[in-house]
Amino acid sequence: MSKEFKLRQPRGTEIVALRAQLKEAREVLKAIRSGEVDALIVEGVGGPQIYTLQGLDAETNRFRGEILAQISDAVIACDPEGRVIYLNAAAEQLYGVTSTMVLGERLSEIYSTRWEVAGGEALALAELRERGEWRGEKVHIRRDGREFQVESRVTILRGITGKPMGRLAVVRDVTERNRHEDKVRVSEIRYRRLFEAAQDGVLILDSGSGKIIEANPFMTRLLDYPRDELIGRELFEIGLLKDEATSRKMFETLRKTNEVRYDNLPLEGRTGLHHEVEVVANRYDESGRSVIQCNIRDITERRRTEEHVKHLMAEVNHRAKNLLAVVQAVAQQTAKHGDPATFTMRLADRISSLAAGQDLLVKTEWQGIDMADLVEAQLAHCQEWIGTRILLHGPPLRLAAGPAQGIGMALHELATNAAKYGALSNRVGKVHIHWQVSGDLDPGFSISWRESDGPRVIAPARKGFGQVVIGRLAEAAVSGCAAIDFREDGFAWSLSAQARDVAASVVARQP
Amino acid sequence: MSKGRIGRTNLSDARILLVEDEPMLAYALEESLIDAGFQIAGVAGRLEQALTIVAGGNCDAAIIDVNLAGVSSAPVASALVAGSIPFIVVSGYSRQQQQDAFAGARFIQKPCRPDDLIKALRGLFTEGQE
Repeated sequence: MSKEFKLRQPRGTEIVALRAQLKEAREVLKAIRSGEVDALIVEGVGGPQIYTLQGLDAETNRFRGEILAQISDAVIACDPEGRVIYLNAAAEQLYGVTSTMVLGERLSEIYSTRWEVAGGEALALAELRERGEWRGEKVHIRRDGREFQVESRVTILRGITGKPMGRLAVVRDVTERNRHEDKVRVSEIRYRRLFEAAQDGVLILDSGSGKIIEANPFMTRLLDYPRDELIGRELFEIGLLKDEATSRKMFETLRKTNEVRYDNLPLEGRTGLHHEVEVVANRYDESGRSVIQCNIRDITERRRTEEHVKHLMAEVNHRAKNLLAVVQAVAQQTAKHGDPATFTMRLADRISSLAAGQDLLVKTEWQGIDMADLVEAQLAHCQEWIGTRILLHGPPLRLAAGPAQGIGMALHELATNAAKYGALSNRVGKVHIHWQVSGDLDPGFSISWRESDGPRVIAPARKGFGQVVIGRLAEAAVSGCAAIDFREDGFAWSLSAQARDVAASVVARQP
Repeated sequence: MSKGRIGRTNLSDARILLVEDEPMLAYALEESLIDAGFQIAGVAGRLEQALTIVAGGNCDAAIIDVNLAGVSSAPVASALVAGSIPFIVVSGYSRQQQQDAFAGARFIQKPCRPDDLIKALRGLFTEGQE
């Protein structure tokens, strides 16, 4: 309340009178506070006004006042002009004011209001007018700036005649409650999402009846049952447990240990789709109701992978043993046919040749070897001549593992021989390596090695292991035919077979 | 192994079938057998070839690899058992990984010493005589 006063210096007698008035006012206030005053008559501009403080029903009023003082909600009453005529202890505490400070003041002296929804105030007033009551939430801001969310119930107070006497507001600070509700809501959203998006099946069962009371979407997909057909069923009815006896056993264990785990259960979906699942069941208390949560993980894929890995390990073991057997055979033959002085070197070269083939196979995950890669790998020791003295010509072609090993070993022997006695033993000799796939129906494959500009060729007196490799062994590797020609002007070798016996897949054919 | 029906006691006459898809191994084995005085009834890298040779009835014993380019050679084993022809099984797979068709046969793990194989092969014939 602000009023303007025109101050003038009071005279001596006036000061004495004013002091007497002030003293009187203090005594009245004191009397009011100590409950000795029943009513006040105030002379106002509009005539005398009676404020009843105590009367015939003073006892009842005091009794009511006591009750209001005890309740934890803030209670504030206003007169029709909006001036505070009552507030209880809880209101004093909530708004940080005392009755003496605010009685007779406007509500805005206690707090200001912020409406959370636009037009909230107008709506509240309209409702108050129509129904005489409004309840809802808003934000109260105390004089010291502190804010809190309140749930407020406002009613129109009426006199015996029905004439409005003011308003009564019962206000509850719901900041904490709202914060808590918010937390619960966030938690609900979060865990529901977890439940619904889980890539594991989740079933909630009633401990007592053993019936399903909740199932997540993954579970309904896994079993191929709509959710409402799962609810109310028991585990053995949906094919998760073998029979009723197994089910009973699970519940018994759960009662004792609260947890049951099955590492591998067969699960038949409704459409007969077979899955292997891992089940972990936990029993817990859900606000007084004992429930069982079953987590069902589809391990079909994992089992398949495990089987695959096991198979691969066995395969790797088999291949390693086979390769060692081949190395052993190569060593045996190298020793039998060759010069003992050069045995170690020749064996090492041949093992390197086999190893190069293995590298290429691993590169394509055993899906074969590209012809060009094979040639380059086997001629690695004379790589600097590739493109100049060693000319490669042929289409892209992927060889199957077996043929690749046979052709690779042959190329190694041919290169070794050429470097020792043939076209690569001088400075100008050349090697033409040419492979092709020809014919439309049942195409044929051929590869040729032709040397030129080398020293004059002299056919060897006896057949060494190298000749076996480029002859019989190469033939066996491709189920084909080899031709060896010690022509005077240059050694020539060729190998031909059915393309289907050689190629892993014919990538492209010559135009 | 099934009781051998081995008429020939002279080992140099014994005709051995080699069933092996790895040309290098087949070759080395063949060389070893020839050096040891055996006759070679045939070398088969494929199932059909092996079955044809067995059906021809011109072999007295066999050495078979269990896996021929990814195909099991179990039918060869069955045909040999049916013809009472003794055989030795060689494989890079362990004995535990073998199929039933090979059960009871003398098993030699790859890689093996050529002498061991020759010894095992001679064993087939001495068993047959007992």
